[in-house]
Amino acid sequence: MPPLNYFEVECSDAVGGEAYRRVAADVLQDLDLLRVIDRLHIFIDPRVPIFVAVGLIRHIPREIRLRDFASVNVQENRVVIDIGDETYLAPLLQRLWARYGKERVEQPDRFTVVLPAEEVPGERIEDMVVADPGTSLYRDIVYAMQYIAPEGFKVRRQYVKGTRFYYVASEDTLPEDVVETLVAERFARLEGGG
Amino acid sequence: MTTLVPVTYRGGVYRHDEIADLIDDLGGYVVQKQMMAQEVVLQSFVPRDDVALIRRIAKPLAGEVIEAPLVGTEIAVASPSLEIHHLPHTSCDIAEYLRRAGAKTNMVGLARGFGKRIANLSVEERDVINEHDLVVYVLGNFEECIKQKFPAIRRGVHVPIVVTGAPDRETLMRIIDPRVEGYVGNIGRIMHRFKRPEELAKLDELVDEVSRVVDARRNELAKDPLSIFPPRLMGIVEDQIQEVSLLTHPTPVTAQLTGLRVKLPYDQYASRIRALNVGDGVTIGDIADLLPSRMRNYILVRIKPCSETGVMV
Repeated sequence: MPPLNYFEVECSDAVGGEAYRRVAADVLQDLDLLRVIDRLHIFIDPRVPIFVAVGLIRHIPREIRLRDFASVNVQENRVVIDIGDETYLAPLLQRLWARYGKERVEQPDRFTVVLPAEEVPGERIEDMVVADPGTSLYRDIVYAMQYIAPEGFKVRRQYVKGTRFYYVASEDTLPEDVVETLVAERFARLEGGG
Repeated sequence: MTTLVPVTYRGGVYRHDEIADLIDDLGGYVVQKQMMAQEVVLQSFVPRDDVALIRRIAKPLAGEVIEAPLVGTEIAVASPSLEIHHLPHTSCDIAEYLRRAGAKTNMVGLARGFGKRIANLSVEERDVINEHDLVVYVLGNFEECIKQKFPAIRRGVHVPIVVTGAPDRETLMRIIDPRVEGYVGNIGRIMHRFKRPEELAKLDELVDEVSRVVDARRNELAKDPLSIFPPRLMGIVEDQIQEVSLLTHPTPVTAQLTGLRVKLPYDQYASRIRALNVGDGVTIGDIADLLPSRMRNYILVRIKPCSETGVMV
């Protein structure tokens, strides 16, 4: 059982509902979203058919800056960046190459990057934004919902903004008013109680 | 007449050829040989009375002989699609488990098998499924969807069908009309590997159900026996067509309940295979139909019953 604060699957078919509860738990665990999603309500009615998932995100991860994973040592004629955690090394190099040119960025070993000092005059390179996990998070959430939803439900509508997201899918066209009512009802339940 | 039973021999590579020779000497057939690193698996048919003998001879080689009810069958595992929703778990786990029971399984990923209203089966898919001995339909979680879509994806399929899905067995029996040969409930869309005891028990139940259907088919065939036992015909093709040994397929010639699938191009080899002598001046063309398979450009050999040819090899 995932450590979400609220996790409910509402379904007219008891056996299918239970199966989808397991599917959702497995998918969220596989995609490492259990700590990201705070509350999730899934509504499925195979007779219509429709699949609705509404949820709240726990927190949006902040931007990753250079100082978060490396220390910067400014010497007389060069700047030495000492990498502590390699996770964001690839995007860091991409940015440095784009900014200073590949020939100026030296990497004598795996954990060290050296720049000539004249290239970074007085600049606080520590504050450089290296990656933004928030953008990939939204993508991951939508992907997880596509993964959980029955495959035949190809007509879909998705929304992720701030901490709220919803995903609606069906085999048939989705009437706007139906979607809005269903989503609003589930959001009310999600944010009100539980 | 000796009765041949399907068994699997599992042991080390060291001296495994002695077991293969022994099976041959006893009048049995090895239909598939798999070598994985230091392990070898022989899927074979051996005389019922000699199983104990093989066990005794295999013992010093640390080999084991186990009953494998599905040896000599080619089974299709039909999945609604080959998307991430159905693979790798469920479909692959089921196919792998059937393989352990001796079957040669092929995964048939339907192009449009998903959905409730939109599910359908193409002519090519239908023909490919009909080339197998049996088809296992791996269906999903909702009773309502299975009820509505199943008639569409079984249309024109005349081989025995076994259905799996999340509803229990009784529900599956109730919603599927006309009836199919086998049902296994409580296996739906699962997003993890089958590993819990209750999940593995379900796979065992599936193997039992498939074996039951295959046995019923074998009994039916015994009433009007085939002109030649498929593994015997397989041996003849392998011995006389040298190119078979050059193929890299795991099973270059696949044994089925009523025929063979020879993985050579139909246009170039069909007439050569038809002319092969099976003994006493009888050729393969006399006792079997050779058809172009819908699976790549393979050859499908359908052995005619003894009552039709008047020949028993």
